Amino acid sequence: MAGVALENWVERIRDPKIECMSRDEMADLQSKRLVDVVKRVYENVDFYRKKMQQRGVEPGDIKSIEDIEKLPFTTKEDLKNNYPFGLLAIPMKDVVRVQGTSGTTGKLTIAPYSQKDVEVWGECVARGLTMAGLTNEDIIHVCYGYGLFTGGMGLDYGAKALGATAIPMSAGNTKRQMMCMEDLGATAFACTPSYALYLAESIQEAGLVDHMKIKAGIHGAEPWTEEMRKKIESILHINCFDIYGLCEITGPGVAQDCIHKAGLHVHADYFYPEVLNPATHEKCADGETGELVFTTLAKEAMPLLRYRTKDLTSIDHSPCECGRTLPRISKFTGRTDDMKVIRGVNVFPTQVETALLSMGGVVAPHYMMIVDREDNMDVLTVMVEVDERVFSDEIRKLDALRNKIGAVLKQALGISVRVKLVEPKSIQRSEGKAVRVIDNRKL
Amino acid sequence: MIRQISVFVENQPGSMMNVTSVLTEAHVNIRAISTFDTPEFGIMRLIVDNPVRAKEALTEKGFVTRVSEVIGAELKDEKGNLNQMLAILADGKINVNYIYSFVIREGKAPVMVFSTDNYEKAEKVLRAADVKLVEEEEL
Repeated sequence: MAGVALENWVERIRDPKIECMSRDEMADLQSKRLVDVVKRVYENVDFYRKKMQQRGVEPGDIKSIEDIEKLPFTTKEDLKNNYPFGLLAIPMKDVVRVQGTSGTTGKLTIAPYSQKDVEVWGECVARGLTMAGLTNEDIIHVCYGYGLFTGGMGLDYGAKALGATAIPMSAGNTKRQMMCMEDLGATAFACTPSYALYLAESIQEAGLVDHMKIKAGIHGAEPWTEEMRKKIESILHINCFDIYGLCEITGPGVAQDCIHKAGLHVHADYFYPEVLNPATHEKCADGETGELVFTTLAKEAMPLLRYRTKDLTSIDHSPCECGRTLPRISKFTGRTDDMKVIRGVNVFPTQVETALLSMGGVVAPHYMMIVDREDNMDVLTVMVEVDERVFSDEIRKLDALRNKIGAVLKQALGISVRVKLVEPKSIQRSEGKAVRVIDNRKL
Repeated sequence: MIRQISVFVENQPGSMMNVTSVLTEAHVNIRAISTFDTPEFGIMRLIVDNPVRAKEALTEKGFVTRVSEVIGAELKDEKGNLNQMLAILADGKINVNYIYSFVIREGKAPVMVFSTDNYEKAEKVLRAADVKLVEEEEL
């Protein structure tokens, strides 16, 4: 019961010197950091040295942030080919932490951190928590998963940097979440937007809205709509904020929106954003949609040059009403690939294919993924064709097959999957690139 | 021993008709039919006069089929006869997976079709008890 109307909002800025810097000063800082990071990767990472040599670029050619266009791109495929530590720019002994996320096939995408990387991560999340009006007096209930996934640890580091109290709940067990939220007096909570809505409705159904001290929700790791935001805000009478990040770059806290909801402020002193036409790689004008590309300007363990996120967005460099000059990216409009974010987890059709093929020819590799949102929770159904090799005359054997496919997919994707057995040839065969995913979520 | 054709069908309007229309076009006579259903899919089990032609026609149209052997036992249409046959199997410790029935037109005698994991023993105990087993030529 503590939502704040815009007219009563008091804006707090954690690092006004950086967050409200003039564009020229920011460009100077970015230039200085770019020169440094390029030098570090050229000296320490074979992959980048070779790529730069192929393009005929030397560290000396990079004098300012404007020169970034001379640098090579990095793709998720490059991370896969250099799995797990091929892109490391520091000795392994200086790596203090590793996080990970799903790769396009069975292997993870790994993100190593130095001590300083962890501190920068926490600092960026703390800037976001401050944007959400939180201070060291707040109690932050973190129901993002703790583990390799960056959600839980990211918010935890942010709360620590802010000096707030972190309650590391992790995901699941809604009753227990509500009990702790009420008993421990949480003033903010952080989780995926779909879980936030589910939790909000559970709190409402239990008649506990008035018992809660929550004033802010920090939500991200999956796409969500303004309608969802309004719904969570109106049920709990709070302000909700959209946090963005990706494990390869640092995790949550790469960008977040402020009370004005005018796009997500990118911490561009650490993560330099470019929005490029995905086909021509030319720079998009402000407001024009293109692929978001990040260069980590200060990362030590695994700096990435021009990492192609495959997220589609537009950028706005004009100052925000909140006073920040950090560039803002719009809510994401889609992807350049067929990755889906389901319950906060990245899912690629290729993972499903690899998992089905790993069953040793038990099932045909003809499948279709259908993503729905039921009761505000994402549900993934995978349709698998039954063929002569697996068809049994007995229901129990078909049920066992379905359960086995379900278990294999759950293991591969990290989320539970509904398996639906369908008649052969009933999944549409398409010419050229097969359509493997139907997303029925209205995002 | 007779051959049964099982067909995988999704539980949706028209799916069974798709099977029967293929068999009609192939001039196959259906002698008995039984279905098992789950909310999403079902299995149609068929006894037909020409299982080879039936399977060819269905496979050609993209259906997944499986031919399995079942036992057809002819019963007298009298009270207690099914019970008696099941008692014979139970005494022989033979597990019956499923059972369904049909009638041979001319003779009007009911035929029980059942699936078991031990055909040889089932046949042996039924023959020993003088139960008439139906052969494919009679279909």
